[in-house]
Amino acid sequence: MAKPVVSIVDLSFTYRGSEIPALNKVDLQVNPGEFLTITGASGCGKSTLVLCVAGFIPYAFPGKMEGLVQVLGKDTKDYPAGGLSGIVGLVQQDPEAQLCTLRVSDEVAFGPENLCMPPEEINERVDFALEAVGAAKLRNRQIHTLSGGEKQRVAIASVLAMKPLLVVLDEPTASLDPRCTREVLEVLNRLRREQPLSIIVVEHRLEKLLPITDRLVTMEKGKITADRAPGDYRKTYIPPRMCLPEQMCFGDTGGSSAVPEPRQNRPILSVENLRVGYEDGDVLAAVNFDLYPGETVAVMGDNGSGKTTLVSALLGMVKPREGRVLYKGTDITGLKVTRRARDMGLTFQNPNHQLFESTVFKEASLPSFFLSDKPAGETERVVDTLLERFELLEYRQKNPFTLSLGEKKRLTLVSVLAYTPEILILDEPLVGQDRKRLHLLLQALREHAGQGGLTLMVCHEPALAASHCRRILFLDNGRLVVYAGVQEAWRELARLGREEYLPPGYLPAVKENGDRNDVS
Amino acid sequence: MMFPNRGKRGSFSSTGLKGLFPGLTYVEGASLLHHLHPLVKLVLLICFTLAVFTSPSWQGGLVLFCLLLLSYRMGGLGPGFFVRKLRFIFIFGLMILLVQILWTREGYLLWQLDLGRLHLAVWSGGLCDGLGVVLRFINVIGSSYLFVATTDPNRLAYALMKAGLPYRAGFMLITAMRFIPLFRLELALVKNAQMAKGIELEGLSPRLLIRVVKYLLVPLVVSALSKVDFLTMSMESRAFGLYPTRSYVSAQALSGKDKIALVSIPLGLLLFYCIFS
Repeated sequence: MAKPVVSIVDLSFTYRGSEIPALNKVDLQVNPGEFLTITGASGCGKSTLVLCVAGFIPYAFPGKMEGLVQVLGKDTKDYPAGGLSGIVGLVQQDPEAQLCTLRVSDEVAFGPENLCMPPEEINERVDFALEAVGAAKLRNRQIHTLSGGEKQRVAIASVLAMKPLLVVLDEPTASLDPRCTREVLEVLNRLRREQPLSIIVVEHRLEKLLPITDRLVTMEKGKITADRAPGDYRKTYIPPRMCLPEQMCFGDTGGSSAVPEPRQNRPILSVENLRVGYEDGDVLAAVNFDLYPGETVAVMGDNGSGKTTLVSALLGMVKPREGRVLYKGTDITGLKVTRRARDMGLTFQNPNHQLFESTVFKEASLPSFFLSDKPAGETERVVDTLLERFELLEYRQKNPFTLSLGEKKRLTLVSVLAYTPEILILDEPLVGQDRKRLHLLLQALREHAGQGGLTLMVCHEPALAASHCRRILFLDNGRLVVYAGVQEAWRELARLGREEYLPPGYLPAVKENGDRNDVS
Repeated sequence: MMFPNRGKRGSFSSTGLKGLFPGLTYVEGASLLHHLHPLVKLVLLICFTLAVFTSPSWQGGLVLFCLLLLSYRMGGLGPGFFVRKLRFIFIFGLMILLVQILWTREGYLLWQLDLGRLHLAVWSGGLCDGLGVVLRFINVIGSSYLFVATTDPNRLAYALMKAGLPYRAGFMLITAMRFIPLFRLELALVKNAQMAKGIELEGLSPRLLIRVVKYLLVPLVVSALSKVDFLTMSMESRAFGLYPTRSYVSAQALSGKDKIALVSIPLGLLLFYCIFS
């Protein structure tokens, strides 16, 4: 049998300043040409594991390391950070932060140039790498003009130009929309078929990755809890309702198809003919919708389609060029952000943009301090209750920046729920949550809806929208192209050819319906 | 395209430096000046600046100013661009001229105005000295701006590294150009996020300024440090810093036009010096 590319024996690692080991007696082998997927909840140690494989631990991240990590028989401890470049290639989750030059050709040539290769060979490698990821036509483009998916493909090409034997990708699609995700996964599949590479992908969005995976490794609390063929993945950290086609039950929550009748209720939030733009043109135009109390609504669309601009316009962070925003029938277009925020609680996609205070408790209380009339004692009680409910109370006096991504997301939600705004606007609130915490969050959203609140949720998971939202607003290039109940929205998205936004297993059914509709 | 939002981030990037230093930005183009090798342009800029400082008279300054306008035209920018972008410099130059005129009383009297206790007079020496200073000021700033507007900073950084600048320093420049617009975008996001928490950050007052620094700085620094972590790993995993030197794929050899410019323009400026000094 061929020698393994990666051999990990009894590996434990504890970050300096922490008492809990991030990795605890891990054993793993990766064989030549193998496509391995590692999954697990946020903070389970999967990223630490790939940093060990890429040779950045122990040198770039101080801590106590025990056990052995060998790449092609070489002990990673014998090489400085980056010493394995040319053997192991690392692609990270943020496509923006890992590209260091201004032009695609410079970026792909960056690694070979650092290896002091002659220009002719570098040119050959740049051609090969761009071809391998299907990005030859991007060669002369400026990096800042690329989409997220294109950037990630360039990042993969820049690693391939080093001709590594192993490519490690840490959540390569985490910040991408479904269209860009599909683009990157197609590249990975192509590499798997065409290149003599071993590939390790760390990912928690599994449904589209599993068909191209040879082995699925599941981690929990620093340990490998399962290592198997990807056939059975029911015990992954994505709830079955969100990813398993056979368990998709459209409309069975009573929500998806039960859009309230406008005549029965007065809209809580309305947008009339909204047009918003920046200096180089309109970003949103002719957007109209009414949203009702008790609804949970998904806002979907590609990156750059105008979702963030829409959310910003609702809160008054950008001034519309035309149109109105109405809250309970009252025009609030001219109101300041801080005034609107009393009724609209917003959490951002990246919680680091919101965190500021020195302790979790202060952070959770801060919006209430500015936006609520409750007395301090009452706020403290509410915040503590919410912290306990969202399993954050043990971190009450800790610095919020030391929390994991999932914990930070829960903290920003707690800080908003604490002052009880009627409208919640949440940008990908469920990222980084394991099954238990996911149910906690969804339960909180259901309660909010039950109390007559509105939740507007920017969301890239069609399965989640299918099971927990009443309606879908889908933006495409600044236009609201779908504004309908969930069932109708899927039909419309299928008609528009946006399969990547349909829940897994939904497309065939839609086609059948479409055929029937055509006949009738 | 009606909705160019897909390139929104891109357009943010391209205007990033402009936002920080109004008007000071590279303008893409395909003119002769754009195509000249960055280091050749740097040498020409130094020669022009030397000519400006060694020219004692306002007539010399005027000749150089005309040359500069001609260069702007060759750069595909035109005098209109020059006036528009450097209007602040012109206003500042006018103030220098006025001060020179009012303070210098040499030569012969050109014009005077008596307003009781206020006596205004313009002397020929003051006018000539003033014009000389103003033209020197405008020529130096204008030529530097022309260099910036017609030189791709990325190409300049690579050219400097190939010419011997340590590559770590060169990549500090390149990564700064790559990330400053991103941080500007992050700042806008952080500001919005804090306002959504009810923190008032709009308006102008010293108290608000302190609040802005307090509430924006921490998240921005944390975000920047996280990006730096990603970037460091990305660069190191591609062998950055592994060897004391590196190779460069782009040739950037001197073209025939570069060589002609490198010889003829300094010679022309030397001739100018001989005539006007």
